[in-house]
Amino acid sequence: MAEHYSSFTKGGRLWLWQRITAAFLVVVLAFHFFLLHFVHHADEVTLAMSQSRMETLSYYSLMILFLVTATFHGVNGVYNALVNQGLTGTKRQAVKWTLVAASVVLLVQGVRTANAWAGYTTFF
Amino acid sequence: MSQSYNRGLIEDFGRWREFSAGMWAWVFHKFTGWVLVGYLFTHIAVLSTAIPASQGDAAAGADVYTTTIVALESLLVVRILEVGLLAVAVFHILNGLRLLLVDLGIGLESQDKSFYASLILTGAITVASVPTFLAGVF
Repeated sequence: MAEHYSSFTKGGRLWLWQRITAAFLVVVLAFHFFLLHFVHHADEVTLAMSQSRMETLSYYSLMILFLVTATFHGVNGVYNALVNQGLTGTKRQAVKWTLVAASVVLLVQGVRTANAWAGYTTFF
Repeated sequence: MSQSYNRGLIEDFGRWREFSAGMWAWVFHKFTGWVLVGYLFTHIAVLSTAIPASQGDAAAGADVYTTTIVALESLLVVRILEVGLLAVAVFHILNGLRLLLVDLGIGLESQDKSFYASLILTGAITVASVPTFLAGVF
């Protein structure tokens, strides 16, 4: 029987979520780049244009989902890379919770920004 | 009977001369991933200028969000970094698709070829997009 070489936890769900978010991000990241660099040009950005896009519920929802999946995929990717490099024990726990805290800050700030564009009230 | 195999620390970059195409794909995927996650935090920080801009009554085009983006986009170095960001994102997307296929057991025999194809396609898309990214900066 082959040995288990992977540094991922056996039966872990994070491995699967990393792939599910990857499949989503492949499409949405390409769409994001195409829309904001090729359809519209970055140097033509105005607050009013960003607001008009975000006031559409489907676009707002897609961007919130984009933020959540990108944050998870990116931060979990960083964590996996550090674990692969041999991070263990207390350092591993410290890195894990630092990354969780950074993710929360990013998500809160991202949602606040999206709400500011869309004209929604943010309670934090 | 199983045979033990000590692979060593596979993430030992000091062994880069021994790396195969698959290992280079792994290294590039990690590197581009680090760049993208770093950019994500920077991106949200810059876009956060929309929060005070939305609250103010500034005349259109004179708010802090619009002026920040326009000022950044007027810099050649920012445009060049954006081309670099596109290259990094395109490679991460194409190699990510390749990894998803490999995870599904598709194209295992040609995974080195698909890595080279990812590199070539990334180069082609990046070069083709340079005029779009540099438009209006000169």
